[in-house]
This record gives sequence, structure tokens and C-alpha cells, in this order.
Amino acid sequence: MNRLPPPSPLLRSLGRTLAVLPTYQAIPAWSDAPPAFTEVGLRYSRYSEDSIAQDKVIFGDRDRYDIDVTQLWIEAPVGSAWSVALDVQNDYQTGASPWFVGINQEGQPGVIMSGASIQDNRVEVGVTTRYFWADGNAGFNVTHSDEDDYEAIAMALDASWNTSSDARTWTVAVSSSRDTVNPTHGVIPVFIDEEKLDTQSGYFGVSQILSRTAVMRFGLNYTYSEGYLSDPYKFNDARPGTHERIALSAGIRQFLINADASLQADYRYYADSWGSDSHTLELAWAQNLSASLLTPYIRYYTQRQADFYNVVADRAARFYADDYRLSSYGAITLGARWSVAIGDWTLELEAERYQSDADWGLYDGEAAPALVDFWRAAIAATWRFD
Amino acid sequence: MGGPARLAIDSANASKHEHMALGVDNLLKQLERRYSRYDPTSLVSLINARAGSGEATELDTEAETLFDLAGQLWEASDGLFDITSGVLRRAWDFRMGSIADPERIEALLPLVGWQHVERLGNTIRLPVAGMEIDLGGLVKEYAADAALQFLRDCNIESAMIELAGDVATLGRQASGQPWQIAIQAPDGGPPIRAVSLVDAAVATSGDYARRITHNGHTYGHFLDPMTGWPVSGPSSVTVIDQHCLTAGAVATIACLKAGLADHWLNASGLPWLMIDAQGKASGPILEG
Repeated sequence: MNRLPPPSPLLRSLGRTLAVLPTYQAIPAWSDAPPAFTEVGLRYSRYSEDSIAQDKVIFGDRDRYDIDVTQLWIEAPVGSAWSVALDVQNDYQTGASPWFVGINQEGQPGVIMSGASIQDNRVEVGVTTRYFWADGNAGFNVTHSDEDDYEAIAMALDASWNTSSDARTWTVAVSSSRDTVNPTHGVIPVFIDEEKLDTQSGYFGVSQILSRTAVMRFGLNYTYSEGYLSDPYKFNDARPGTHERIALSAGIRQFLINADASLQADYRYYADSWGSDSHTLELAWAQNLSASLLTPYIRYYTQRQADFYNVVADRAARFYADDYRLSSYGAITLGARWSVAIGDWTLELEAERYQSDADWGLYDGEAAPALVDFWRAAIAATWRFD
Repeated sequence: MGGPARLAIDSANASKHEHMALGVDNLLKQLERRYSRYDPTSLVSLINARAGSGEATELDTEAETLFDLAGQLWEASDGLFDITSGVLRRAWDFRMGSIADPERIEALLPLVGWQHVERLGNTIRLPVAGMEIDLGGLVKEYAADAALQFLRDCNIESAMIELAGDVATLGRQASGQPWQIAIQAPDGGPPIRAVSLVDAAVATSGDYARRITHNGHTYGHFLDPMTGWPVSGPSSVTVIDQHCLTAGAVATIACLKAGLADHWLNASGLPWLMIDAQGKASGPILEG
């Protein structure tokens, strides 16, 4: 059977003119089918934190984390109803991180950074197998992650169903992981040998096609972790042995015919058993250009500090932490993605700038001196073939 | 619409069939009444009657969209696809088979040109008396798409409509098999190729049926709006797309592009089949 190729620019523009009429607004009916082609992709990204400000540091290296991430993936159809995917990721991490927060000579909180720069390499390998039937698909994934001081193995199962003339898709997913922490005894003293933590997570979501030009989705996620949840490389860090998290998310994509662009909005609410909650709002504009897609975006994030967080940890309390990631703050990210298709290849470039500040958040709290700002950039190439 | 219509609906309910068929027939008649230049009460006839009078005609969304499309096709075809070129037909009478008088063509050329048509907001105006709009080709293909939308709105999941050689399909046949459509040979010989369609349309454009032979020259039916003379294009072009209207537009422009037809068809990205003036067939549909 002839399968129509993606429309040429002329046909896309004729389609836009016609889309005003109901006759040309029919929602296309898909049947779930394995990918028609094999896809191989390679992605490199660099994450680079700004050095910590001089007036925020009491002692130690001001250079913070840099992480180089290289990802390789392959996804291929197997027979007429299956697909298989392999994902390999390598993270190379260097730099110093906050060890604890103290009070400097002016009476202000300041960070004592970990001594010399760490160098850590993590490799993660995941395999997913997926089965397709007329109205949906289901996948099973196993992922193993390994680095000097941390090992994790996880399994996940997901399934989705299309209903209502394919205008609605339901998704459920469950996953379970077992992590083992073996902190490196190096420059920073660590006080544990080997600890474990277990995490269970469930997700339920629905996506609804509203019209030929709009899609909406909702999701609900619940995660439960138990075991050693503290950060072994932080001097003042003693967290509860259990952690429950929920997240509610909603998103909408509206294609605007006259602009040949799509407006995308996503909102996420998060709350956990440690007293923290957060809001994330992201707005993106995906603009079709003559031969590529440019998507600038802005994201706003605000979180409330965990119950046991203090800017200078209270070691007298049962649970305590001074980790900036548990503090109250707000953050803004500005970024853009650009992708272009060249024959069987797709090239993507992405860059973003993230800045956080205790005053930008909606919640009051003790401002962490170690709040981070960073740059992130990525380049990816994907190749599809029969 | 000026051509035979065939409708196939696959549903378990036979009496529903009859209802649907009547509904489609009614829809086609409505479109004809609205857009036929032969019907003096149609919108198109009203626009044409007002040519040169200064009076503009208000358009509804459907008509506006069809004119917007005509304008886009005029641009995309570098002026070859022009719905104002119908007046040139007065110089050519393909039924009589006589060749045109060059002076008559010269006299008609000033009345041709989409660039002269005035579009302001949702109105249209033909500034010169004698100018004419002909939406016939576009409406025939639009009718096939609209008929299927009507059936879709009635919860029909399986149907096929054929209007004057163009075919549009909805879903698969009730058996689960795609709709099998045969592409006819222009000379009436055995079908060239069968194509399997699911939610897709196949449209054919060509002037094999309406040519004039004079002094050993064959004059086709597609006229170049710039010169008033026929283009020496292919015998027939067949294109497959999701909708009949877009497939038909691409096929018609291919015929007008004559020697550049295959470039145009390849650039469209759609599956196509062309029979040239010598009867030789080519195109991805043949190979696929």
C-alpha cells in the first residue's frame, strides 16, 4: 500500500489554506504500528555550571560541575508487531560541589566546597522491547547504570491505548529500581560504606486530540523511595528513610495555521513528603521555517524548601540538610531548539541558560548561597533508514 | 459536476446506505448550484455578471477558501494555473474540432490574469467586463472531499466516491482490505496500474479526450494563460494525496507545465503517474 510521505512545503501551505474548512480538518486515524524504519541517533550535550561567586564561598574550588553527556540509541522494528531499542549513555562529570554551608567572617552564610575537582564517569545502558496491536502498544525496559560510587538497576513497564476514534490515548506505566551507593573515600570524608535505596513509581496519563490543530494531555505520577536517601558527600545531610512524591502535569499544543507555528504550554505541580512542593510552567513556540523548525522556550520554576532544610543545617534536629536543591528558590530558563531534516537525517541543536535566585520564588525561605546558574547546549544527529 | 458519479458505502445497514447516498447526491447538487458557471443563479455566475460594473461580491468561508487556494496555485504554478483563463475557450471550440483564429486569441488575452482579480476582505471583484471566473475544476475535486466529510460526520467508516475519474476513499473496505482503484489508460485500453488506497484520493488530469488535430499538429485542451495557445503537455497525469482537491491541483498543474511536468511532480513529493503525448508511461506509481 502506498504510504504518503511527509508533505512538501507547497502541500503544507495548501493544507494550511484549506484547513479553515471542516472538510480538511479530519483527525487522521492512526493504527498503532511499529516504526516503519530503523532509527540510529547520537547526541552530545554539555552542561556547565557557573563558578560560585567569590562572596558566596568560604573555602574551596570555585569551579562547579561540568558534565559531558554522550548518548547513542538505536530503535528498530522486529517483524510486524514488535520493536526493540537500545540506549547507551555516558556522563563524564568534573568539578567541585558544595560540601556544607557555614557562616563567614561577616556573619553571612557561605559554602565550603569539596576539595579538589572530582572526575566521575557514569555509563547507563537500557534495553526496551515494545509490542504493538491495533489500538495500542506496551513496552518493557531494563536499565543499568554504573559509576565508581553508584550502581542502579531499574525495570519499567508501560502501556498505552487509543480510543474514541483514536482521538484519545490512555497511558499507564510502572517502574521499580534498586540503587546501591558506595561513596568514594577521597578528599571528602564519607561516613558510610555501602547503602541501598529502592524506588517504586506509577504513572497514569491521558492525551486528547481536540481538533486537527490542538492536542491536550494530563498526567499523574506517584513515586515512593525507601532506603538511604541522604547525600553522602555532604557533611550536614541526614534525610528521612522514606520519600513520597506526587506530580500532576498538564500540557497543550495548539497549531496556529496563519503563523505556521505551534504554541506549547506545559504546567507541572509537584509535592512530596519532605514538605517541599513546586510549580513549573513552560511556554514554547515551535515555528516552522522554510526547511527547519525553531522552538524558543521559557520556563519558570519555583519550589518550597524541605521541612528539614536550613541554610546552615541544624545538626541537633533529627533530619537536616543544607543542600541548595532543597531550598526555596525560583528559576528561569531561556532556551531554543532548532531541528532540520536533510534526507534521511535529522540534525538538532539546542541551547539554554538557567538562572536561579531565592528572590524569584513564590515561597519564602532561607536563601541558599550555593544556588546554581548554568549553560547547557546539545547537538544531535538522527538517521532513519528502511 | 459534468461527469459520472459513483458512490460505494460499506456499512452493515443497507437502509442507511440509501439515506447516505441521497445525502451525498444532495450535497453534490448544492455545490453545483453554487459554483457552476452554467447556472445563471450561481455565485460564480453572479461574480461573472458583475465583471466591469464596479460591484464586488461577498463570499462565504467556503468560497473564500476556494479562491484563496486558486490564488496559491496560480503563484505556485508561475501563473499557468489561472481560473480566469476560461474566456479563452471562446476562441477554441474543442467539440467542433476547429483551430483558433490568432486575432480572436489576442482580443481575449487582456481579460485573462488572476493578478487582475480584486480581493478585498471577503469580497471579490472582476474589474473588466468580459472577465470570467471558472471554478469548475477545483469544485469537482472539492465535492469528492466534501462528500466523504459528510459521510464521516454520519459515522461512516468505509466509503469510496468517484467523480468524473477522480476517486476519494474513506477508511478501508468493510473486508479490511484497502480500496483497489484502477488507473485507466487514456486511450481506453486496459488499466495501467491498480493502487491501494486507505483514507487517500487519486486524481487524474489530462486532455486526451479533448484534443484537436490540425495539419498534423495536436492541440491539447490546457491553454497557457499568457499566450492563449495550448501547452504541449502530457496525455494524462495521475496523482495520489490525502485529499482529492490537492491531488487534482497537482495533476492539473503538471499538465500545464508540459515539458517540466516531471520536475513539478517530483517536487510535490506525491506518488504520480504520467502518460506522455506519445503514450509512454512513467512515474513512482508504476514502480511502487
